[in-house]
Amino acid sequence: MTTMGANSISSQFLANSLVAPVLQAQSSLTTAMTEESTGQYADLGLQLGDQSGYELSLKEQVGLLQTLTTGNSAVSTSLSTAQTALQSISSTAQTTLNDLATWMPGASSDSQLQTTGQSALQSFIGSANTTAGDQYVLGGINSGVPPIADYYSTPTSAAKTAVDQAFQTAFGISPSDPAAASISASAMQSFLSGPFAALFQGASWSSDWSSASSTNTTAEIAPDQTVTTSTNANQPGFQDLAQAYTMLSEFGGSQLSDATQQALVTAASSLVSQGLHSMTTIQAELGSTQSAVTSANNSMSSQLTVLQEQVGNLDDVNPDATAAQINSLTDQIQMAYELTSRLQQLNLAQYLPVA
Amino acid sequence: MSLSTAFNVISSAFAANAAQTAVVSNNIANANTPGYSREIANVVTNSYGGADVASVTREANAALLEQAASSTSQAATQQAISDGLSTLARTVDDSSSASSTSGADQNGASPSAMLANLQSALTTYEVSPDSSLAAHAAVSAASDLASSLNSASATVTQVREQADQNMASSVTTINSLLSRFTAANNAVVTGLQTGANVSSAEDTRDSIVTQLAQQIGVSTTTAANGSQSIYTDSGVTLFQDTPRTVSFTATPTLLDGASGAPVTVDGVPVTGPNSPMPIQSGALAGYAALRDTLAPQYQAQLDQIAGGLINGFAESDQSATPTLTSLPGLFTTSGATSLPSMSATTGLAAAIEVNPNVDPSQGGNPNLLRDGGISAPGNPAYTYNTTGSASYTGRIQQLIGQIGATKSFDPSAGLGSSSNLAGYANASVSWLQGENQHASDSSSYQNALATQATSALSNATGVNLDAEMTNMLNLENSYASSAKLLTTVTSMFSALLAAA
Repeated sequence: MTTMGANSISSQFLANSLVAPVLQAQSSLTTAMTEESTGQYADLGLQLGDQSGYELSLKEQVGLLQTLTTGNSAVSTSLSTAQTALQSISSTAQTTLNDLATWMPGASSDSQLQTTGQSALQSFIGSANTTAGDQYVLGGINSGVPPIADYYSTPTSAAKTAVDQAFQTAFGISPSDPAAASISASAMQSFLSGPFAALFQGASWSSDWSSASSTNTTAEIAPDQTVTTSTNANQPGFQDLAQAYTMLSEFGGSQLSDATQQALVTAASSLVSQGLHSMTTIQAELGSTQSAVTSANNSMSSQLTVLQEQVGNLDDVNPDATAAQINSLTDQIQMAYELTSRLQQLNLAQYLPVA
Repeated sequence: MSLSTAFNVISSAFAANAAQTAVVSNNIANANTPGYSREIANVVTNSYGGADVASVTREANAALLEQAASSTSQAATQQAISDGLSTLARTVDDSSSASSTSGADQNGASPSAMLANLQSALTTYEVSPDSSLAAHAAVSAASDLASSLNSASATVTQVREQADQNMASSVTTINSLLSRFTAANNAVVTGLQTGANVSSAEDTRDSIVTQLAQQIGVSTTTAANGSQSIYTDSGVTLFQDTPRTVSFTATPTLLDGASGAPVTVDGVPVTGPNSPMPIQSGALAGYAALRDTLAPQYQAQLDQIAGGLINGFAESDQSATPTLTSLPGLFTTSGATSLPSMSATTGLAAAIEVNPNVDPSQGGNPNLLRDGGISAPGNPAYTYNTTGSASYTGRIQQLIGQIGATKSFDPSAGLGSSSNLAGYANASVSWLQGENQHASDSSSYQNALATQATSALSNATGVNLDAEMTNMLNLENSYASSAKLLTTVTSMFSALLAAA
């Protein structure tokens, strides 16, 4: 009776020995084919294990940078709209300043000052109420309503009523009254710098002229970098310009004496220059924000490249290695099939002579 | 020696040959029976020089059997854990094939990815605070985040309930295996006393032990009378002459915070935190670990995230002299009137929702996200945007800041006590995928070990057809020789009688 030694193999094991490896190779093949087609590991969580959170945070950072970059284009639009509005306000101011410089008492037409003032004021109000989409760009955070009220509205605007009343209070007549010719230059000067100027400051400005908020909008243009992304019509420059244009359009009629008109022109010129200077400063501030947005976009774009590369390092399979793996798995499975059929032939019963 | 003695020897040769042929036939017949142990006929010389089959022994290998059983147990544990964890891991899957119905991008639908989506939506809203479209988008991102926590929490409950059911069916299997073992063990003991062949009963016994090892880690000892005793790997008696009762009461609903019943063997709890002798391996141990430790820990992390969200997005009294308490804002639970404590967050992940006051689909006003007052619309104390400005971004910036702000978490959830919301959610993903990867690797490794041990056992005790064929040829030859001998002795007798 033959006994079996250490190298004995049970026939059952031999017959089934290739089943498990073939099943395993088939499942590996499925995985490798998925990876080949997607370029990523088939099950990222299983592949990365406790690095999954890190990988997810990289992807989330990519998403955030992309969101910020998209948001920055909206910021840029509103900034350049504001720049255009300010540019137009500045050029109106410049034109007005030129007109005032060439004005000669008595030589120019009677209503020239008034016309200049009116058209400048209308242009100023129009530019100050510029919108980007639904957003009034010069309204500060209160971007939902026009920042500067229409002076020439019907019914009479609060601003105009206040101006008329102030003049009436100071001189007891309306500006169009022929008696206005008797107003002295010094009386006019003290009116303009006193009760009239007060109408364009503080509470009167907020209630009669401006609906803008003094708080400017801010936005995050890059992670942890928040900048002021707008300006508002409550800046002193706007008040100066509105004051200058209003005095010209209201009191620039011919009733005043030449000397008084000269005083008016001097006061207006001084205010327009101040306003112009202020506009330039605001434009420079917005300009520096615009360049901050551009450089934030550039730096985020290079960060994105780096981050996406890192995500790729974690997620992506090497396509060459995967292709090679698919080949070798296919070979292995074919070889296993071949072996299985040959093993079935390896049976002593096949070789024994039939008795 | 006389010729008649020669006759006796020949006759014993035929008897021994027949007995050995029976053994070879039996071996060949069972060549493909799993768990069958090869039989060997022991031939001895009898008193008058012939051959007898004195006994038939079974080629058993107790050490290999024990090893196969133990690695089977370990593999079953890891398999059970791995199956449960991979179901849980689907809640945080970010493979490219994963997509969510809410239109979330490639980052999957995990709470972590949804939190990042909310942050992006809020950032977009911050740039266009006057856009109601952006407000809607931010509220719906918040709503996606809440439902991602709800569904992750539901998955945890489902995994725990499934584990509880599996424990129940595992216990049923164990009890039925033990009663079958009783029959086989009795057959062995009686057979040994009466001298019957007990090989088949012993095979049955071994196969039952292997099946038991799938369910629960076991070790065995054999007494002098052949009776086998079975103990759990923690030392509690499962079988000694009679089977011990393994009992378990299933808990059909296992909501967050509820704990399932322990499995007891002979009255001793072998699973759960109060067990003096907890089992270490077998599918039962895996299900118990999943139900009692791993899934609840993930649940606790989800609850902490939900608690962190409700607290982080809360609204405080904005009056110059604040007198009112802070209330749940964007995130709340149904009917909540105060903020939850971070040390008692049980059930929050399942219950968290977007406040109906801000949810346009429930008649709410999404602009409250910018203005504040979600907690108590109309109450000026909780209004942040006091001037009603369309481009007020102060509150939105606060909300974005909350996602990145360092907060306190309950350290019992296993992710430390201080982190920001985004970091905590990511750490939770890492924890889960780490456990998943570990269980999957262990499962593959233990399965390979179990396969090896089973093959080794099969090779040591199984049948090799070629060897049996060779034995059969030997028997055929010895039968032919005996027959020839018989003819020769007969002709010698004839010659002797003819001569007489």
